[in-house]
Amino acid sequence: MSVPSAAQRALPLPEAFSPWRSLLRGARLVALLTLLAVAWAATQTGVFRGDLINAGGWALVQQFFAAALRPELSPAFLRLTLESTLVTFAYAVCGLALSLVIGLAGGVLSSEVWWLVHQRPFVARPGSPWLIARGALALPRAIHEVLWGLFLVRILGLDPLVAILALGIPFGAITAKVFSEILDETPRDALRALLNSGAPPGHALLYGLLPRALPNLLSYTFYRLECAIRSATVLGVIGAGGLGYQVLLSLQSLRYGEMWTLIAALVLLSGITDWLSARVRQVLGAPARLEVNLAPGCEAQAAQLTRATPSSRGLLALLGLAVLVVPLALVYLQPDFGRLVSPRTQALLGQMLAEMFPPDLSGDQIARLLQLSLQTLAMSIVAMAIAGLFGLALAHPAARRERGPRWPYWLTRGGLLVLRAVPAPVWALLFLFVMFPGPLPGALALAVHNLGILGRLIAEAVENVDQRPTRALQHAGAPPLHAFFYSTLPMTIPQSLAYIFYRWEICARETVIVGFVGAGGLGRLLTEQLSSFDYPGLSATLIALFGLTFVVDMLSTVARRPLR
Amino acid sequence: MSVKPKLALVSLALALAACAAPPPAAQPAAPAQSPARPFVISAIPDQDPERLNRLYGKLSDYLKAELGVEVVYRPVTDYAAVVNAFRTGDVDMAWFGGLTGVQARLQVDGAQAILQRDIDEKFRSVFIANVSTGIQPFEDISGLQALKGRTFTFGSESSTSGRLMPQFFMRQAGLSLSDLRGEPGFSGSHDKTIKLVEAGSYEVGALNEQVWEARIKGGEVDTSKVIVIWRTPPYYDYHWVVRPDVEQKFGAGFIERIKRAFMALDATNPAHKEILDLFGAQKFIETKNENYADIEAIGREIGKIK
Amino acid sequence: MPEPVFELKGVTVRYGAFAALSKVSLRIEAGERVALIGPSGAGKSTLLSLLNGSLAPTEGEVRLLGQDPTRLSTRALRRLQRQIGTVYQQFHLVPNLSVIHNVNAGHLGRWSLLQAVVSLIVPLERSRAARALAEVGIADKLYARTDTLSGGQQQRVAIARVLVQDPVAILADEPISSVDPERSREIMTLLRELCDRFDKTLVVSLHAIEYAYSHCERMIGLRAGQVVFDLPAAQVSPQMVEALYRIRDVDV
Repeated sequence: MSVPSAAQRALPLPEAFSPWRSLLRGARLVALLTLLAVAWAATQTGVFRGDLINAGGWALVQQFFAAALRPELSPAFLRLTLESTLVTFAYAVCGLALSLVIGLAGGVLSSEVWWLVHQRPFVARPGSPWLIARGALALPRAIHEVLWGLFLVRILGLDPLVAILALGIPFGAITAKVFSEILDETPRDALRALLNSGAPPGHALLYGLLPRALPNLLSYTFYRLECAIRSATVLGVIGAGGLGYQVLLSLQSLRYGEMWTLIAALVLLSGITDWLSARVRQVLGAPARLEVNLAPGCEAQAAQLTRATPSSRGLLALLGLAVLVVPLALVYLQPDFGRLVSPRTQALLGQMLAEMFPPDLSGDQIARLLQLSLQTLAMSIVAMAIAGLFGLALAHPAARRERGPRWPYWLTRGGLLVLRAVPAPVWALLFLFVMFPGPLPGALALAVHNLGILGRLIAEAVENVDQRPTRALQHAGAPPLHAFFYSTLPMTIPQSLAYIFYRWEICARETVIVGFVGAGGLGRLLTEQLSSFDYPGLSATLIALFGLTFVVDMLSTVARRPLR
Repeated sequence: MSVKPKLALVSLALALAACAAPPPAAQPAAPAQSPARPFVISAIPDQDPERLNRLYGKLSDYLKAELGVEVVYRPVTDYAAVVNAFRTGDVDMAWFGGLTGVQARLQVDGAQAILQRDIDEKFRSVFIANVSTGIQPFEDISGLQALKGRTFTFGSESSTSGRLMPQFFMRQAGLSLSDLRGEPGFSGSHDKTIKLVEAGSYEVGALNEQVWEARIKGGEVDTSKVIVIWRTPPYYDYHWVVRPDVEQKFGAGFIERIKRAFMALDATNPAHKEILDLFGAQKFIETKNENYADIEAIGREIGKIK
Repeated sequence: MPEPVFELKGVTVRYGAFAALSKVSLRIEAGERVALIGPSGAGKSTLLSLLNGSLAPTEGEVRLLGQDPTRLSTRALRRLQRQIGTVYQQFHLVPNLSVIHNVNAGHLGRWSLLQAVVSLIVPLERSRAARALAEVGIADKLYARTDTLSGGQQQRVAIARVLVQDPVAILADEPISSVDPERSREIMTLLRELCDRFDKTLVVSLHAIEYAYSHCERMIGLRAGQVVFDLPAAQVSPQMVEALYRIRDVDV
């Protein structure tokens, strides 16, 4: 009798299964390190310090919110608002157009497939020109648009050209990177078939690869339009004009009624662009492709689920319109392209480069840069921890679903839209009303702005997830929330986390722009150096910023790897 | 084919230039500088942008009439941006603070400080405090010790009266920035400093005395909430700085004509008085680069000039 | 004796330590219809890649239409490849293009880049494409989106592309493995007829032996990278085929 029972006892039990554990397998270390990093960052930015809140400022905050009820609606101001909106939009369009030119050329040149088809057919790996093209794109990408703006204005002077280039160059480099990834991920069977039948490389790419990659390229372009509107607004804050500039002026003059009118315009502009972009991406059947390359498998699946034959006529009309808008925007802004080649520009460029070298790398400076880099890093971590946590929580009510009441969707989506439509420096100025200057208000401003972006990204991921497992559970009698914890959440969490880490890279670059309005970190130092015309110090700070960007990119890539 | 009309245009422009003002002999062929180019002025955005637009709109009209050239006011968002626009040549003449004026001259060889207001010879900053702090006005600089443990805001980073001189006097009083509560704020402008201290966002602030007096006079300050606790000793501040190349662009003697135009502003003439009032001055007087040697020394000491 | 279309002399292809083909020698004359048979991994696809010039041998010599592809300049190699058309198991078409563009892709070796670009907007040579589609029996699909077609229809589009390319020889890499049995017969018959009518050489790799017997005149049996037999189809016995596919008796 005892023999079988002993055998039963001896039966090796498999490791207890939990959906969470399976999810985190391979990522446990990353999870632990992330938690530690967040705790360190919170301490560093002073979350646990006593005096965070400057109680004296609540009166201003009350005034600010009270003004929401009486926005400035005089015809003159409405006209100004409309003009500013057009300026911001025109900057976004021109910048985006430039970035597409750079992105297409750079994307093709830095794609593996371009170099492969141009080599002898028997070679398996692309050679050094490919690596050079890749490397050449890394630098412009590491510099935030605002920094480009501040440099270009010192060389080109006051001209709309500055904002267009400041937006177009870094966006072009980012677009090139993503375009090259899209091209390289596109199946190559048709391309190979054409090459094997003797078609020249350019022809083969044109017929075998580009048409297949086009929906992804287009949908990414429309996603970039959203980003361009936000960046054009921020460039406005540093003086390019448009909505960002007007918001800053109203805030500086403490005219809150005007501010609300302008914020309404920003929300409207952002909202329309985001909606249009989302719609186009949906029609193209490539909604999941945003800024980040997730596991190619996931994406193909998502594309299949939502595959709709694009109504090519509507799409063509839209593209035609888009192409028309660019010259209109150029006419509206009237950039002086002559400045690009004028002798004055060359002289100023030479002068500035000469002043920037050698960078100030004295011992004191390095110690200070190191300390501020850590502070900046901490700022970005705190910002993303907050944005990520709330993003995960808000994304689910913000996802459109087939059944149930619609108001949570509209409410959260609307809220997220306002958060991301208001640029981070403006959030920072608002936080500075009630908080002491330092890294924390900056981190909060970044958190709030990025929450608006992340919440939507994650919500879209949730919308695109395969509904069948959830439905199967519900049909088996599981209550909605139970089903959610056993299907939707575990299915979307890897992608959501990947988004958060990816956004962290952007956030680290954005720390500079909240620094400009007095929130701490390297951005603060940079502002001080800019106003002191301390060019050697400035180039040292830039080196620190590059280093920081590089470290964050690397950490993010490593952290995302187990999530694939 | 297309060369001919271009040539014709250039010769027409040259002919026009010859009519408008005989070009200086040293520059017989300067086709790039057509007379259509306006004289561009700008100013550091130290006050409400709206007020600045009104002020410089009126001034531009006046100068246009006096100088006989098109005058354009170019608004700029921050102090450093004005210095930069002056350096690149987008702006021919700018109204600078003491510090920004020095910074600008250091970056443009031959630029001259030419004019200032009567009040700029003996300019002062004021330290203001929210009354809830209980800080009492004091006479001696050592009274600044009362700022220890208080929250404090400057104006713009590059402001002379809102940052440089207040920080200089705080140092003289033996008060370091780390003695304050939290890091010091930079409100961006004098007007905003008043409003932030009045509202209590910051307990103490420092700004330009003239802006303070003008707002008190205009009844825009709630003096039951915010008071002056100390006035600094006098120093040289605001002034007009002009680029050396304006004489090539607008004719020899142009700088002298600018000086005359400003010094002709007369407080008894109602049209002139409006401009002078907006500047908060009785009249404009001549100044020279040497007047700002102290400011430059202090700028270097505090690290705002490298 | 006329120049053979394809000729391999002692060809070995190694991927690292693994020899996909070893010491293979064969000649294929103009107008022949040859079936390549053998189990998966026998080297059929590798052999076809050698024949369309997309792979270089590790050892030995390959001559395509009398030329050695490894000695040609890139440009000359492309000119040579234009003379050899390939049909693939997975069709290798662009799914979101119209059928006409996929068919017109057969012109790419001749077209200038400008023509190629223009044709993507306003299709050129429409009648030529329509004729090719009629040849493969789906004339009505000229403007359909390719991914709306069934597998069999897509394979016909791929064949139409080769017809437009108008090569000397057609290679087919398991052309019927992705379609149902009825479609398989139609496609094999179509290939045979087209080769007869337009006087093309055909080399086709197959798993379905019955079509090797019914549609080809010569069979080459491959196993573990070596030619086991190379005979007229009529002389290949069922026992030889069975031995070819039997699991692991050669190695043991």
